[in-house]
Amino acid sequence: MHPLPGRRTPRPARPLTAAPPTAALLPALLLATLTACTSSDDGAGASATAAGGVKLAKAGQLTTCTHLPYPPFQSEIDGRVQGFDVSLIDLVAKELGVRQTILDTPFENFKTGAFLNSGQCDVAAAGMTITAERRKNVDFSDPYFDATQAVLVDRNSGLTSLADVKAKGARLGAQAQTTGEDYAKKQGFDPVSFESSDAVLSGLRTGQVKAVIIDYPVVQGWLKTKTNADAFRVVDNLNTGEQYGFTVRKGNTKLLAAINKALTQARSDGTYKTLYEKWIGPYDATATSSPAASPSAS
Amino acid sequence: MTELDATKRKLTRRQKQRTSRAVQYAVFAAAVLAFAFGADWGRLRNQFAQGDIARQMFPDVITLALRNTVLYTLSGFALGLVLGLVIALMRLSSVGPYRWVAGVYIEIFRGLPALLIFVFIGVAVPLAFPGTEIVGGTYGKAALALGLVGAAYMAETFRAGIQAVPEGQTEAARSLGFSPARAMLSVVIPQAVRIILPPLTNELIILFKDSSLVLLLGVTLEERELSKYGRDLASTTANSTPILVAGLCYLLVTVPLGFVVRRMEAK
Repeated sequence: MHPLPGRRTPRPARPLTAAPPTAALLPALLLATLTACTSSDDGAGASATAAGGVKLAKAGQLTTCTHLPYPPFQSEIDGRVQGFDVSLIDLVAKELGVRQTILDTPFENFKTGAFLNSGQCDVAAAGMTITAERRKNVDFSDPYFDATQAVLVDRNSGLTSLADVKAKGARLGAQAQTTGEDYAKKQGFDPVSFESSDAVLSGLRTGQVKAVIIDYPVVQGWLKTKTNADAFRVVDNLNTGEQYGFTVRKGNTKLLAAINKALTQARSDGTYKTLYEKWIGPYDATATSSPAASPSAS
Repeated sequence: MTELDATKRKLTRRQKQRTSRAVQYAVFAAAVLAFAFGADWGRLRNQFAQGDIARQMFPDVITLALRNTVLYTLSGFALGLVLGLVIALMRLSSVGPYRWVAGVYIEIFRGLPALLIFVFIGVAVPLAFPGTEIVGGTYGKAALALGLVGAAYMAETFRAGIQAVPEGQTEAARSLGFSPARAMLSVVIPQAVRIILPPLTNELIILFKDSSLVLLLGVTLEERELSKYGRDLASTTANSTPILVAGLCYLLVTVPLGFVVRRMEAK
């Protein structure tokens, strides 16, 4: 068959005189293509059970959803994700006799619980504040950390407080879907919303915003770098009474119990204190969250 | 004004062209100069061209990030190619429902941002089919998302290609006793593929760039592709050099591919 030389003029569609056998094959082929991608597994993955009857997303591992980078809670150090949250969840994994794997996912899914509900992850650990609104979609563990919000400004901007930011009409930045952003909105700001904590810092560094509102431990981490400490300063600490918690899919009581057990254990045997001092800073036993504390709704 | 003056004042066409071109050059030169002198090169160099940061990215940026980008792209492209061909044949079918289904598919997947399709695959598919897992974990999901997007475009490309093969080819094949399906598969489609190689390669380039959306599926450190790898490193080093390096790695692949497309089109 020689292809004809010369013009290749597109013509109006001509219906193929469809031969029944192939015609019937087309949708079958289409279906096959799609089902090949969503074939059911043999039960080894979706319902793997660990110690204490905890059902896991993947056999032999506790899959954690997080959002990187969020030092000192989780960030990549020497090719591995490490941090305060990571160490605590490692304790839970040890309790269950499995190892932890970490998935980096978009932050907004922690509010909706999407990745937990879809069975991609067992637990979410991302420096998340316990809020009534988030409780609607996910179940929180006992609080494991008390957080405050900080207002960090560019030293050259001459801003002295959050009120001053408002008075001067300076642009304020925050991380999307965080309690800091909510707080700013409640105070009548229209904050520039960045996708991750490092994007917030870039925004401040490049002058897109003159001030940012974000969790204090994150700011602490930033200010350890000399260039940041020279350029920015904290002008406000907002004691919002926030507490961090880990989340699981609504109704996953067995895993929640395992997490809380590991947390209680760590507090009583000193592991918590050791990790706190390693990642966060000096540990003040009187000021840390007790499991009995009521969750704030900030 | 006398008539003589008026004719003098009138520019010839060539003069008009010359003046307008001079104005264009001037505007362009002004823009280049404004950028060259207006930009703070020192700050740009500090932010985007730190040699030691760029050096520490190797070999990982190639062996891990670029490798994953290529893997995601090729698997998505392969799936898109098969699915696209099936949908193109359905579009051309004489059976009404096939045509409608294919039409709806193309409209939806061409009309949605790839970003939303990734979110959908990451969340909605596991919710819709509880207890099932997409084969290959993140790699399977990435292939599926990229394949679904690519298939819609490639279906249209295939259809155009099939319609561009002269009618006489089908007729000749049929007169030799080929069944309609056989004529399509062994005569028309091979010729169509030759016609549409350039646009298919363009689609490969587009998928290569869209693979940056894999981060929406949730990835482990080993599953990161170029864009995410670059951004992560930019945050740990507090410097934008990794983003520039990641960008250059994309160009490493897309520029030669673009060259190939132009060569094919020239033939």
